[in-house]
Amino acid sequence: MKKTLFILFAIVTCALSAHGKLNVVATLPDFGSLAREIGGDKVNVSVLAKPTEDPHFVDARPSFVVSMRNADVLIDGGAELELGWLPPLLQNARNPKIEIGKPGRIQASQGIRLMNVPVNVTRAAGDVHALGNPHFTVDPIIAKAIAQHIAQSFSALDPPNAAFYEANYKKFEATINGKLQEWGAALLPFRGQHVAAYHDSWPYFAHRFGLDIDLFLEPKPGIPPSPSHLAEVIAQMKAQHIKAIIVEPFHDRRIAEKVASATGAKVVEFSQFPGGLPGTDSYVKLIDTLISRLAAALK
Amino acid sequence: MWEVMFWPIVACVLLPWLLVYLGLHVVQRGIIFIDIAMAQMASLGICLAVLLHIDLESWTTFGIALGFTLVGAAVFSVTGKRASQIPQEAVIGIAYVVAAAAAVLLLSRAAEGDEEIKNMLVGNILLVTPREVWERFALFAAVGIFHFVFRRNFLLVSFDRDAAYRKGLQVRWWDFFFYAVFGLVVTSFVRIAGVLLVFSYLIVPAVCGINLAQRTANRLLIGWCIALLGGIAGLFLSYWWDLPSGAAIVCTFGALLILISLFALWQHRRARRLP
Repeated sequence: MKKTLFILFAIVTCALSAHGKLNVVATLPDFGSLAREIGGDKVNVSVLAKPTEDPHFVDARPSFVVSMRNADVLIDGGAELELGWLPPLLQNARNPKIEIGKPGRIQASQGIRLMNVPVNVTRAAGDVHALGNPHFTVDPIIAKAIAQHIAQSFSALDPPNAAFYEANYKKFEATINGKLQEWGAALLPFRGQHVAAYHDSWPYFAHRFGLDIDLFLEPKPGIPPSPSHLAEVIAQMKAQHIKAIIVEPFHDRRIAEKVASATGAKVVEFSQFPGGLPGTDSYVKLIDTLISRLAAALK
Repeated sequence: MWEVMFWPIVACVLLPWLLVYLGLHVVQRGIIFIDIAMAQMASLGICLAVLLHIDLESWTTFGIALGFTLVGAAVFSVTGKRASQIPQEAVIGIAYVVAAAAAVLLLSRAAEGDEEIKNMLVGNILLVTPREVWERFALFAAVGIFHFVFRRNFLLVSFDRDAAYRKGLQVRWWDFFFYAVFGLVVTSFVRIAGVLLVFSYLIVPAVCGINLAQRTANRLLIGWCIALLGGIAGLFLSYWWDLPSGAAIVCTFGALLILISLFALWQHRRARRLP
């Protein structure tokens, strides 16, 4: 047994030294950005979805299959966000290294307590994800946990650089810890305020920063707004004095503008993904931008 | 390259021949948008299955979708009168928009996972699996045999309706068979290749054939060559430039059609100059 393990280990290290860098594929830009924080120049990161693309619907291109075939590591959400497009890609890539349960597969949601897990999974409540809300990376504390998970996996797959990955994680952790104070302070004056959003992507963000983002322009997740629902939303926004409506690049901004003009609220462009807004090429810059935009709108 | 593109290429070699043949009928009948209307009828059936909480991969769902396709076939064969003020294309357009709108209404009540339904209806040729290719090949072979056995009637009904009536054929019934089988083929191809690609495979090779030849057999041969060339060239381009595969094939077809039209024009002029 020991001998086989040793041989396996030797094969793995040989394969790695032959390849040099770890080939990392991330399904979504937030995971890709965290992988770059940890892996630095020791890994090649390719990201499948674009930051401005709806993560529920991504159109596969030949390079997706190629990069998944050559991947040493695949990072996905693991919470059904990519349900519509990842399974056929995986089936096509037929790469045993990135199967579920292998060291090369990092499922970001692992070890994270997901919010809004439906009690009853009939899907009558809309495009609900059975495992819970999958838009979790926008909570910086969860992002730290994912970064740690990534650092541990990289270290296991590429032991010679383990110290490097560990140091990068420590650096990221320290940055987030420092920033959390700043972010919390910026939103402190608005604690407990209600905010509207187009889609239910923000429960983790709201929870972290003491907001209530619980009114949605979509009547049910993934269902386009109907007139009667919008009328109800407008009435509620007026009653609760809601000042901001969060939309993402792939949502229909005109609907949000319409509701905003009826209620006097501001439309705030948000993105779950680094790169989805101008000047947000890293995770920290993204959260910086989200916080300052929201604070400006709520003022 | 081969690992990724092998099955898409196999699909583009084994499957489109039937679509090209059906495309000649469709262009001749002047019912260009029938495929999109049929695909929409089938998706309306799937939306109904969603509303009833039936498993999307089950045979019941398939049966419902097939039922809706047959309803579409019945509607189109009844409305395709011998002489009518209302063109068939108008009926097809109306069927499409009503089916599409009805699907939106059903989904707003059912509120099932949007992703799964879209996934179910619109495939991506890049991600086709061997099983999907063989299943469709078997179906297309069966349909091809059916069409071959009754080719005289089908061709007469599509290409010379007056003669078909004179001969005393049950034109409505033959129309119904044509539409029913057509709906089955289109719906099953849309699931692996998407709506755009089905439309182009039906129409572009047929139009190229009509541009270059008079006899149906020659048109069919030219159409098959165009379908093969466009499909494989499109897949290669999609690989080299990393483009969405279906859209790359469609644009390749567009470019081929322009080239062939120019060639036909040039040939036509030359024929006129030399009496």
